[in-house]
Amino acid sequence: MTFSRRRFLGAGATLAGARMSGVPTQVTPSTLPPIELIALNRIAYGPRPGDIGRVQGMGFAAYVDEQLNPNDADDALCNQKIAEARLRIQYNAGMGYPAVDEMRPLRTIVENWSLTQLWSLSKNPAYQERIRPVEEVRAATLLRAVYSKWQLREVLVEFWHNHFNVDAYSDSRISATWTLYDRDVIRRHCLGNFRSMVRDVAKSIAMGFYLDNAFSRDGPANENYARELFELHTLGQENYLNHLYNRWRDVPGALEGNPVGYIDQDVYEAARAFTGWTIAHGQTVSGNIRLPDTGEFAYVDLWHDNAQKRVLAFEIDPNQPPLSDGETVIRLVSEHPGTARHICRKLCRRLLADDPPDSLVNALASVWLTHKNAPDQIARTVRALLLSDEFANTFGSKVKRPFEVIVSFLRATNADVTPNSGLFWQLQEMGYRMFNWGPPTGHPEESAAWLSTNGMLRRWNIINQLQSTWLKAATFDLPGQTPAGLTSRQIVEFWIARLLAIAPPPSTINRLVDLMRQNGSADAPPTGSAEEMTDRIRSVVTLIAMTPEFQLR
Amino acid sequence: MTLSRRNFVVGCSAAIAALTGGAVRGLAFAQPGDTTHRDILVVVFLRGGCDGLSLVAPVNDPFYRGARGDLRVEESGQNAGLRFGNPIPGADFRLHPRATPLLSLYINRSLAIVHACGLRNGTRSHFEAMDYMEGGIPESGVPANGWLARYLNGINASGYLPAVSASARIPFSMTGFNDAAALTDPGAFNLSWNSWRYRSQLDQALDSFYSGDSPVQRAGRTTLTTIARINERLPRDSQGRVIPYTPENGAVYPGGRGASLGSALRTVAGLIKMDVGLIAATVDYGGWDTHEGQSWIFPELVAGLSEALYAFYNDLWRYHHRLTIVVMSEFGRRLKANRSSGTDHGHGNVMLALGEGIRGGKMYGVWPGLATEQLDNGVDLAITTDYRAVLSEILVKRGGHQAVDQVFPGFSGSPLGLAYAPGETIERPQRVNLPLVTR
Repeated sequence: MTFSRRRFLGAGATLAGARMSGVPTQVTPSTLPPIELIALNRIAYGPRPGDIGRVQGMGFAAYVDEQLNPNDADDALCNQKIAEARLRIQYNAGMGYPAVDEMRPLRTIVENWSLTQLWSLSKNPAYQERIRPVEEVRAATLLRAVYSKWQLREVLVEFWHNHFNVDAYSDSRISATWTLYDRDVIRRHCLGNFRSMVRDVAKSIAMGFYLDNAFSRDGPANENYARELFELHTLGQENYLNHLYNRWRDVPGALEGNPVGYIDQDVYEAARAFTGWTIAHGQTVSGNIRLPDTGEFAYVDLWHDNAQKRVLAFEIDPNQPPLSDGETVIRLVSEHPGTARHICRKLCRRLLADDPPDSLVNALASVWLTHKNAPDQIARTVRALLLSDEFANTFGSKVKRPFEVIVSFLRATNADVTPNSGLFWQLQEMGYRMFNWGPPTGHPEESAAWLSTNGMLRRWNIINQLQSTWLKAATFDLPGQTPAGLTSRQIVEFWIARLLAIAPPPSTINRLVDLMRQNGSADAPPTGSAEEMTDRIRSVVTLIAMTPEFQLR
Repeated sequence: MTLSRRNFVVGCSAAIAALTGGAVRGLAFAQPGDTTHRDILVVVFLRGGCDGLSLVAPVNDPFYRGARGDLRVEESGQNAGLRFGNPIPGADFRLHPRATPLLSLYINRSLAIVHACGLRNGTRSHFEAMDYMEGGIPESGVPANGWLARYLNGINASGYLPAVSASARIPFSMTGFNDAAALTDPGAFNLSWNSWRYRSQLDQALDSFYSGDSPVQRAGRTTLTTIARINERLPRDSQGRVIPYTPENGAVYPGGRGASLGSALRTVAGLIKMDVGLIAATVDYGGWDTHEGQSWIFPELVAGLSEALYAFYNDLWRYHHRLTIVVMSEFGRRLKANRSSGTDHGHGNVMLALGEGIRGGKMYGVWPGLATEQLDNGVDLAITTDYRAVLSEILVKRGGHQAVDQVFPGFSGSPLGLAYAPGETIERPQRVNLPLVTR
């Protein structure tokens, strides 16, 4: 066990380090935290008070199985927070509409707004109304990350939103219907079947407009969606062999019907397969024929290139029934072994380390392929990952992304969260643009991508800003949570246990104790005015969240 | 009209060949650490694949006209491209109509254009192409660090703030240079403690946390150093308040689509004027992936690019002798437009180089032509100039780097002659107050 752990971390440091100047390697086998803390930092957004004891009590494996079967009815605190949430909406009067300034509930979520309601919102003359649904989903996403019992689902929802990245602010039709992409595509399938997920992404309003397939028609097709379907959504860049082969038949395995990867010819052909897949938004089909203006997925045969195609060495005959060409491509790419490895590696990189061992990736890919038709294909794969030796034997190999920094601090301090636009602005300044990431890659996964000077400074400052008097996105009662009668050293230890999974070095602890005790003894309760006590506790908690140890998971 | 392969550049290549022995690789001008001839290199990356065939358009080419339809830059009328005078007989290259500020820079002989340029690898993937380009290699197997990092390490770049990315993060080109800093607003690059009472203790404690050698600790150390250095150099009034940055020489950074680029270049300009020892800066400008609606997005992007570069160049008039700006993109776009008023991923593209050390007012490269058999894979503008030829010449002549094969492993192409070497007489009519040319 010790051997595999060391070797794994060593390999991670070498390879990722070569590319991105290194992953953290502070954690040695002797300082590996217990499995409850590993899990709560990796498949949850950090522990809230009481979480560690609960997972210890039920056991890690039972916790995993519980988390893989989320039940919305059993999430009272989170449901209440979402129902009670109010998000400000404010804009000046414009052409024919009055000024608005109100604290409004997360209506499109709480009231389960329909496509019809949301689509009409996309035509609202006020920009703030058109982006309101995505603003509401942002607020709900923060609240769920902080309060939901179903933390693994939230972690995977973030993963899949990044995997099937859409910039929700790039088009009013996307922003106004964002509630549906979040709920009916990403959340619905986050633990389900991958092929079904790809299919529903392909037919979604969000992806249709974001990668332009809603505009694609025969002669020549728009390649944007088809290319990213291969490169980002399924087989991945690692299986793009265009620099090696120009003709489909040259790709190894192609003549046997099992090409090992894809080339541009596959992209061109797949783009043809998706011609005519669109979103009805009142566009003219031909002459006086128009599609309805409803936002519903539509197939326009007149725009479809119905000649024969060849994708991944599979021949599609001409004149197939409606949608068949595209559905075939989705099946081919979703079930390709390269896709299995690509997605499993990416899951490992999210939940484990930047450079997971091939042996684990291959083992998970095997689970993935075995259950390719199962309705819980993703859940089964994630379960195998979480119960692997590698999961139990690594920690600190990932750097928290900005959203994780914020949420884990809010959870550890039992803060009362009130989402507002200022917080999302700060998050954006940290480099994390929730539902607003322009390129279709999603946010970077490599730890080093989050360790720029800008990133470091802002991850320190956000801890202060969250507790400032102006941001108002959360309230804290740190002195009230600190047990009475503790010595200065015990106060520091209390908050370290709340915030950190791994012990900081003695020098760090001494600095914190010095701050807490001032002129008093480390082993006596601190003395000073109530104001000074509050300032010291806040300062100690702030500093703990600014340590290198807090940045790791 | 025959647009077969012709060399754009006449005149200077023989002199350069004599000087360099025909290849960049063996050149040596400055020793590491010698900054006498070293320019400040600013790399502007147009993310998404800029349509070079619309930025510098062969407007009278029949294949261009036929394949582009409504998306083309036209010869006459309201959407006519800007004439800039270029040396291929029969061909009529024009700048995009919204690139008037670039025309000014070109006429001023500060701006050079390289066409049919790019990454020779056949990839049409944004992310792969950017990795190869920023890694400084042509083929698969992305290296450990970026080309700018290898340049900076190779010249032992030191000083206060040798390398800055004016964004939230370090791009791959700069990854691997340990002192690289990412920052968007120098005036606000500081810790914001809530407690005034314990401020000095907090500062000291944070400093002590980041003294180790883990990646997080090293990142923290670089950040603390950067904070200290910036705050030492930030201009302040007598009360110690930071003086807001004011551009010089009437420069106006653009709003609209160009606002993000303008703001990033403004940050770079401010740092340059703080004399922090800047050697390389990177700036990203996204939004060029125009698969759809190109006719309304692209002109705004071009206007933003042109206005931002123009403002930056005028703002930094006092530094022109040390300033070189390169504009690049991961690939160009398909010659033939698609049916949704856009263009898909292509191959060859345009690069721009701007600076007093650039032999501007010229177009460089070899035009491969746009007939089907002249295209790459029969669909895209072919590449006749490796992007590394442009970058390596600038590193050698302006950056004082003697071993370009360390920056671009395996590359040994010839320089185009687009940069002045140290000691060469720079011929240019004027330096400051560039007039904005109007058509």
